[in-house]
Amino acid sequence: MGITNSTLLGFSTFIYLGAAFLYLLHWVFRLKKVGVLATGVTVLGLLVQTAGILLRWVESYKMGYGHAPLSNLYESLVFFAWCTVLVYLVLEWRIKTRVVGAFATPFAAMSMAYASFSPRVRDSIEPLIPALQSNWLIAHVITCFIGYAAFAVACGLGIMYLVRGDSKGDGIISSLPERRVIDSLMHQTIIFGMIWLSTGIITGAVWANQAWGTYWSWDPKETWSLITWIVYGVTLHARFVQGWRGKKIAVLSIIGFLSVFFTYFGVNFLLSGLHSYGSQ
Amino acid sequence: MKKTNQSSHGNPFVNFFSSIKLAVFLLIALAATSVIGTVIPQGESFQFYLERYGPGMYKLIRTLHLYDTYHSWWYVTLLSLFALNLTVCIGRRLPFTLNLVRRDSLGLGPDKLRRMRINHQWKLGKPLAEVKGELLPLLKEVLGGAREREQEGGVLLLKESGKWSYWGIYLLHASIVIIMLGALVGSFWGKKGNIVLMEGDSTDHFISRGGVGKPGSRVPLGFEVKCERFVVQFYDNGAPKEFRSDLVIYEDGKKVKEKDIRVNDPLEYKGFTFYQSSYQGIPEVLLKFVISDGQEINVSIPAYEQRLLKGVGVAYGIMQFMPQIHGVPAAKIWFGQFRGTPPQAFWLVKGHDREIKIGDKIVKVSMVDAKQKYMTGLQVKKDPGVWIVWVGCLGLILGFIVVFWIPHRRTWIWIGEEEGKGVVILAGQANKGKLAFEETVKELNLRIDTALRERSWV
Ligand code: HEM
Repeated sequence: MGITNSTLLGFSTFIYLGAAFLYLLHWVFRLKKVGVLATGVTVLGLLVQTAGILLRWVESYKMGYGHAPLSNLYESLVFFAWCTVLVYLVLEWRIKTRVVGAFATPFAAMSMAYASFSPRVRDSIEPLIPALQSNWLIAHVITCFIGYAAFAVACGLGIMYLVRGDSKGDGIISSLPERRVIDSLMHQTIIFGMIWLSTGIITGAVWANQAWGTYWSWDPKETWSLITWIVYGVTLHARFVQGWRGKKIAVLSIIGFLSVFFTYFGVNFLLSGLHSYGSQ
Repeated sequence: MKKTNQSSHGNPFVNFFSSIKLAVFLLIALAATSVIGTVIPQGESFQFYLERYGPGMYKLIRTLHLYDTYHSWWYVTLLSLFALNLTVCIGRRLPFTLNLVRRDSLGLGPDKLRRMRINHQWKLGKPLAEVKGELLPLLKEVLGGAREREQEGGVLLLKESGKWSYWGIYLLHASIVIIMLGALVGSFWGKKGNIVLMEGDSTDHFISRGGVGKPGSRVPLGFEVKCERFVVQFYDNGAPKEFRSDLVIYEDGKKVKEKDIRVNDPLEYKGFTFYQSSYQGIPEVLLKFVISDGQEINVSIPAYEQRLLKGVGVAYGIMQFMPQIHGVPAAKIWFGQFRGTPPQAFWLVKGHDREIKIGDKIVKVSMVDAKQKYMTGLQVKKDPGVWIVWVGCLGLILGFIVVFWIPHRRTWIWIGEEEGKGVVILAGQANKGKLAFEETVKELNLRIDTALRERSWV
């Protein structure tokens, strides 16, 4: 047996766990070099994971099924982690601060760990049933998950905002960015996520219209994605209603991500509908 | 965009419906109530709810239409209020935006420029008149594509981009209303239903499932659809790989269109779309009867159908079918009552003939062959609102992009004279993407600075 996608994806799980740990060390002990190392490790993880995803794609062709690795719960968790790391790295590169890493990379690490170790998640490559054979579906999954990744980062920023509180002085808390900065980053990240989520819902509607002839059927997954969309819509407008700044937005950002989480998992495990990822 | 301080309007109706507070309230209400329909199964029979939730909850479910939450009167009311809110709110901002777009960006003096967050000033060592001839064209070139106006004894240059982006907000919010309108058009003028077709059969109508026409009624298509063939394929692991119906459309007896439809690949004709939605395998059995008077009869009969055996006059049919019993097909055949003979039924296995007595005749029955025939289930839809919805969706995405990524940027340069010496002021403003804009202005600053130094004017 040569190297398979599971080998590479398994490696990337550990690399991300390591990166999350390094970012935490970097924040708590304010060690600059550890921060640089954390970024390096994260980039390495992303490269290994990318190779793993591509290899999985190739393997599916060898098995005669040939489809993009975005078709079941395992593959979507892997893709979620990939997007989260990518969104975070772009953010880090743009704001030139590494502290956010301690709040963002754990999402990717947890997603990979869950995908790799949970007995509920099957990691075999499966053929596509007719309903899933659509390019719109690929567009749908990609756009949704970029949105989810952005919301994960925004949730991390929200937690960071709440952790920071009002404290001054020079403890580890005050080494976090200023609240004003976090607030604005959170807003921008949510906006970014909102564009992708909207595109995700729309491409999903186009796909549903092509597969079953209705672009919207109020199935639980659709409804929950609408609820999520509304929560973030409220978050964007809450700025215009007096008093809703900073802390309240941070709380909304966390509630929003809980809603994403429920859309993604809760609906599969607790409710029933067309989207049956993981309900096997 | 800045927060607007919408001065209070005389009309309380307009005031109420233009508030963002109401919008936030409605959005929260919609999100919260939407949860209901994901927790309570929708569209089941009343019996189901009674058994599952008990009489108390059942009453509530019926009164509040929780069995079809998203079409209930109160949910639709919330949606309508939301649409009204959105329309009024956006309409009311119009004058504000118009002012913003019409405001005169060349009507500023040096004092205003100096008060901007991004500004830089050079005091020249010479009177303006001495350098103006060379300075002005130089600055125009550095700034690129600028407008100019005489201003407070000097000249003001302005480069502006993305002013139109203020309309992005309108595109975005109007698109939401457009999507809702599209859905409304679909629900009023749309048709949807089902067709079940045996391979080789055709139909000129479908059975309504909602929209125009009562559920269960026949709706004419105005043309004929024929299913030539249905094909189902499986992967090695047994999961389905492809469902395909080869459809042909006939109009006035002429073939006008044909297409093999699959689950994600429907056929469209005259506004109707046909989707592959389900299928059913119907076995067809080829039987041979040899009657004691010497007659031999061969028939092909689909399972679960009733026929009359000619030559005897008895009714018969297939009650059950097994494609594989020890490697061969088997069918359970029944014969009706005939004169003195009571009804009888027995399993007939291919390769094992049976002899039975009916009235005064002996009939030898054998299965010559069995094959699978298919019945395809199609969904039919006509939705004149779907294009409106797609236009709205496109507008929504474009609106988002404009609102977040297209900044309104203005860069000014004023040259004038103060205390007998020339002065150059550079200033800039952007309503978003401020960091990137600052970089751009810094670059501009450097180029102007270098140019001024080269000429020893500063
Ligand atoms: C869920 C549906 C809605 C979505 C997705 C949406 C989206 C947006 C977005 C993205 C912005 C820009 C926010 C920013 O610049 O930070 C915005 C601003 C705004 N929205 Fe909405 N909106 C929705 C519903 C509404 C409703 C119902 C109203 C009417 C009451 C409304 C009124 C406004 C106003 C007045 C602004 C401020 C524009 C400005 O000054 O920047 N929106 N909306």
